[in-house]
Amino acid sequence: MRKILAIIICKALRIIGKAVGKGSSLPGKFALKVCPDILSRVKLPQNIVAVTGSNGKTSTTEMIAHILRSGGKKVIYNAEGSNQIEGVTTFILANATLGGRVKGDVLLIESDERYAKYTFKYITPTYYVITNLYRDQLTRNGHPMWVYDAIAASVNNNCRLVLNADDPLVSLFGKDREDTIYFGADKLSSDTETFTSVYNDMVYCPVCHAPMDYSTYHYNHIGHFNCEACGYTRKQAQYSVTKADLEEGYIIIDGTNRIDLALKSLYNIYNILAAYTACSLLGLEGESIAAAINNYVLKNGRVTTFKLGSRQGVLLTSKHENSISYDMSLKLAADDKEGSDVVIIVDAISRKYFTSDVSWLYDIDFHLLSTNNVKRIILAGAYAYDLAARFSYTNIFQDKITVTESIEKAVDLLNTEDGEKIYVITCFSDKGKFLERVEVEN
Amino acid sequence: MKILHLYHDLMNLYGDYANLSALCRILETNGLEYTVHKQSLGYELSLNDYDFIYVGSGTEQNQKLALEHLTEYKEELKEYIESGKMALFTGNSFEMLGKSINSFLGDFEGLGIFDFATIEQNKTRTTADAIFTFGELETELVGFINKCSEINGIETPLFSVTKGLANNKQDGGEGIVSGNFFGTHLTGPVLVKNPHFLKYIAEKLAGKKLSTDAFENEKKGFEITLKNLKQ
Repeated sequence: MRKILAIIICKALRIIGKAVGKGSSLPGKFALKVCPDILSRVKLPQNIVAVTGSNGKTSTTEMIAHILRSGGKKVIYNAEGSNQIEGVTTFILANATLGGRVKGDVLLIESDERYAKYTFKYITPTYYVITNLYRDQLTRNGHPMWVYDAIAASVNNNCRLVLNADDPLVSLFGKDREDTIYFGADKLSSDTETFTSVYNDMVYCPVCHAPMDYSTYHYNHIGHFNCEACGYTRKQAQYSVTKADLEEGYIIIDGTNRIDLALKSLYNIYNILAAYTACSLLGLEGESIAAAINNYVLKNGRVTTFKLGSRQGVLLTSKHENSISYDMSLKLAADDKEGSDVVIIVDAISRKYFTSDVSWLYDIDFHLLSTNNVKRIILAGAYAYDLAARFSYTNIFQDKITVTESIEKAVDLLNTEDGEKIYVITCFSDKGKFLERVEVEN
Repeated sequence: MKILHLYHDLMNLYGDYANLSALCRILETNGLEYTVHKQSLGYELSLNDYDFIYVGSGTEQNQKLALEHLTEYKEELKEYIESGKMALFTGNSFEMLGKSINSFLGDFEGLGIFDFATIEQNKTRTTADAIFTFGELETELVGFINKCSEINGIETPLFSVTKGLANNKQDGGEGIVSGNFFGTHLTGPVLVKNPHFLKYIAEKLAGKKLSTDAFENEKKGFEITLKNLKQ
């Protein structure tokens, strides 16, 4: 009885919530109050895919849903991004019959990494994809080791882990498990032999703490690692990016399936590979997966193209307080051989909570912009001077840099007859302040 | 001046390394000569060779590795501090200098240089933006804390807490000061965020007045953060 009541309450609140434009976690919250174990009482689809990790969850989940739907499967997932247990409960119950049967071929869950243990206490994913573990929002989270422990508490013996072979900390979840599936990238032409970022969280082996060796680095601490002291080493991946050409903009998976990239970043490559792996495991053919995801433009608003007068631009949503997210966006702007003007905006550090902490700026590799491709750099927002201080510790030619607290003024400075492509790098909390002043194209 | 950045690759959780970038810049722009050595696990240390030692914050696991390594040099570090030489330990690194760390990872004996005790748990992390006052400076300090421990038994805290987290829930004091040893749980580049504190530390090290003209952006950044935190 409580089950039916919880489902009715959730569905009713969902309808009201949608009408007034409220968030998607409240209905689930009430349903959980009425019936705390509701998630174990509903009949779920046979295949459940869960995605967690620091970065790339939303994009990976969106691509998995897109591929599966292209393959004719009915997919239920939390497209609205509420990824803690309340939001997960909302979307599952919203798709359930009053009898508690969730209709669909695949239940796909993006889960917050810190709270996954609550969701997966009641639901056992068939495949549990873990993308990566990075420093992320230390003003409310722990460091990656802390988050590792939180995720470990969400992994039960009956799910099959699908892990990033190139992240030593993620790969560790598969240690002492037998049926784990790994995805990763072979040595790529964009790799480096030495570590090039600001910090390396995997400088010591996470198992025995001896210095870790890498034969190749893809980016940051992602690469082919090997600990000589204890033998902890990169696992052979079952699904691999065998070639990546970021200039041309394509990758090849498992030597045969070519996928053209709408977004030419290494980040995107891993998200695509994770999605490819999950969909392969669900029985789709590599060829049809590649066709579905070819040139796929994400709908989640992480990449927005715009026009400012006659100039073209792109806004890359990057997470404040997440240095690797920034590094990836900076690389994209720095690698544009046709030239770029780069705008970095830090105005409100978070949209969800208040903090004034700027420590994370020092973890970002702003040196990446030290290239002739980058013609001009504008640092804007309330924390423009903190950005300027950070940039003063790079070898970027200071004459290229303009500092202004006003985002409006930053837009005015860019509104010139012609010029390079504009790359705007900022977070969810600040992107609207820029986009409202330009002509958004997608 | 000889500066040691100890455990630079192990205890560097959140841009902590920039504390030394700032210290080097103020010395450099004032025409002072210095050297910086970076040393970590596996190094044989010679602490008394230095005039300034810096250690940043780390994961609970890495702090234990640093502690194990530094234990071999505890007498040397004690001597260094008692002789009045300068050191700055930020984040959880100064916890190593107490009597003990009772942790979810086990119970660890500290270096025993100070008489405080640390309790560390793995259930909740506490984070906070901070405003602190420091006896010898008129202007407040700003910063950020992210920790899962509390410390009891510090009688000479470094800061008074206006906003943020103290050593424990009962005390109003944060960190520890003893002679020229400065310990604070503030995480990240404290000396970048607080150019007046950088000036204080660097002047103590140099033994003379220094200019902070090269830190105009940092000064503006500080004012904005202080204003935001007071709202």
